[in-house]
Amino acid sequence: MKLKHGSFGKTLIAASTLMAALGVQAETLKIGIAGPVTGPVAQYGDMQKIGAIMAIDKINEAGGINGMTLEGVIYDDACDPKQAVAVANRIVNDEIRHVIGHLCSSSTEPASDIYEEEGVMMITAASTSPSITEKGHQLIFRTIGLDSLQGTLAAEYIKDNIKPQRLAVIHDKQQYGEGLATTVKNLLAEAGTEAVMFEGVTPGDKDFSALIAKLKRNDVDFVYYGGYHPELGLILRQSREKGFDAPFMGPEGVVNSDLAAIAGEAMEGVLATAPKSFDQSPENAALVEAFKARNEDPSGPFVFPAYSAIQVMTEAMKATGSTDPYELADHLRANRFNTTIGEIGFDAKGDLTEPTFEIYTLHADGSKTPVSE
Amino acid sequence: MTETSLYVLQQLINGLTIGSTYALIAIGYTMVYGIIGMINFAHGEVYMIGTYTAFITIIGLLTMGVGSLPIVMLLALMTAIIISSTYGYAIERVAYRPLRGGPRLIPLITAIGMSIFLQNYIRLAQGSRDLAMPALVSGGIQFGDPAVFEVSISWMQLIIWVVTLISMTALALFISRSRLGRACRACAQDLKMTNLLGIDTNRIIALTFVIGAALAAVAGVLLGLYYGTINPYIGFMAGLKAFTAAVLGGIGSIPGAMLGGLILGVTEALTAAFFPSEYKDVVAFSLLVLILLFRPTGLLGKPEVEKV
Repeated sequence: MKLKHGSFGKTLIAASTLMAALGVQAETLKIGIAGPVTGPVAQYGDMQKIGAIMAIDKINEAGGINGMTLEGVIYDDACDPKQAVAVANRIVNDEIRHVIGHLCSSSTEPASDIYEEEGVMMITAASTSPSITEKGHQLIFRTIGLDSLQGTLAAEYIKDNIKPQRLAVIHDKQQYGEGLATTVKNLLAEAGTEAVMFEGVTPGDKDFSALIAKLKRNDVDFVYYGGYHPELGLILRQSREKGFDAPFMGPEGVVNSDLAAIAGEAMEGVLATAPKSFDQSPENAALVEAFKARNEDPSGPFVFPAYSAIQVMTEAMKATGSTDPYELADHLRANRFNTTIGEIGFDAKGDLTEPTFEIYTLHADGSKTPVSE
Repeated sequence: MTETSLYVLQQLINGLTIGSTYALIAIGYTMVYGIIGMINFAHGEVYMIGTYTAFITIIGLLTMGVGSLPIVMLLALMTAIIISSTYGYAIERVAYRPLRGGPRLIPLITAIGMSIFLQNYIRLAQGSRDLAMPALVSGGIQFGDPAVFEVSISWMQLIIWVVTLISMTALALFISRSRLGRACRACAQDLKMTNLLGIDTNRIIALTFVIGAALAAVAGVLLGLYYGTINPYIGFMAGLKAFTAAVLGGIGSIPGAMLGGLILGVTEALTAAFFPSEYKDVVAFSLLVLILLFRPTGLLGKPEVEKV
């Protein structure tokens, strides 16, 4: 289904970047970088862009890939599914066969169908919706963990390190929170720890005194909370008031400086799963300096996953001596790679084989420290 | 005492705390309805403005170094009452008085409009994020065998009971003993006749708005400190609950509003105690439907006499 250029009158090509300076090599390999350049989530698109461009520049400085220099071509989908489809068709027509992107799951999903059909490899560094890799696509990968993996990680940690006798699992009845809470409850039940309480609270509710009395009555000694910080903050604060002091654990949705403001001292020691801060890891120190030298912020969550997406793609090109997406895909599934987000591998669906989340202890001043295992 | 009875006692304590604040807000609905027969849907927003005023006052006093708890609480209550009452008065003047005498549906629509306006005005002025009240009062008393079940009453809960009791007693005395209170009762019985007898009914109506707003402000200060966070949307749910309490007790009846608030609070707490707590609103509102099915005028409401 190749469409003609004319039918995309309104599609924007935002910018094309940096021709490599190494003049000898005539051949360039274009890599599409698709994500929002405009619109309300443009700053996330920027994270992906600076990560990918930095990786491309580093590879070109080191002499390119198989005698070719790389060139990143930026496409703007504005995080709009309709525009994402137009961008995907545009990329196919521009005969680009390797794409980093898209960013928003709602854009990535329709675009990935087009890439798969047209034989273009796509690696997303930001989309976490599970359904993207559940269609059996061959050429679609991601270098970011799924939200649901947080539940697995939390359950393992609780099982191995906390070993609660009287576990309670509380959630806010929303897709994100209840989904994670159910995962944790089920995994722990399989491991032999049945939750003594599993119940929902109403998002926006302010009074948790009845819930806390129930937690006390059930002699709960550990609480996993699936949801966001406003409710957990109040539960923590009111628990402290009422003399209930069992430890709590939550997902990334509670990791927010507002939690400290709401819960105050009661926040000290709360456990949470959150994406690893790759800019803090010592192996990436030189790269962090390189970003800072360009006046770019390396701390965004998608910067290093985007960098790593370029890394694995080019590693595969080097190893196979080819740029054919199908050959690259086979190589990606069969091997492990050393990247800026650690040593990674891909499963048959194209997802990372290990979670990119880590367990942190939260502190009353709003900071967090990784739990040393 | 057995474990279950202690647990029920704990939930009753929690329920009475929430219930008494519902009652405070419900007074505003019921008094206005009793006199002019309209439902002031912007009343929840007046409560919300009360919490914001208290928040700003408390933060201001704490940054100025005033740390004495009774002074901070009293000043917070006073500023909240003054500001909320001003809003209550202004709402009546701007949105309801010009429409008096028109079809009954029209003030209802302006009330909803006023509610949306105030909510968004506070959201723009103060931001839509949750603000955390400083924890002024912490701790409490515990009793019961810790090995069985320890019942706790926080100081804040005690403060809520005491302040509610004082406010309610003051209101009851004002309504039953003072000249203005008598005028209020006269207006509730027959607005036109009272006017003919030479009482400025517009002033009395404005007064009921001010009283309702002042009590809502008291509830706002107490609940803001009790829960710990405030945002511009809290007025909606609080208003809905208080309105339910007013209808439950018999809208138009002041003792009814007090009773309705307490029943609603206790029902919610006991539901959350024995069923998953997400069902507490379901049960509370089902109770409302049931009572209205069997007693359409509410628990203490008087059946409307057909006036000829």
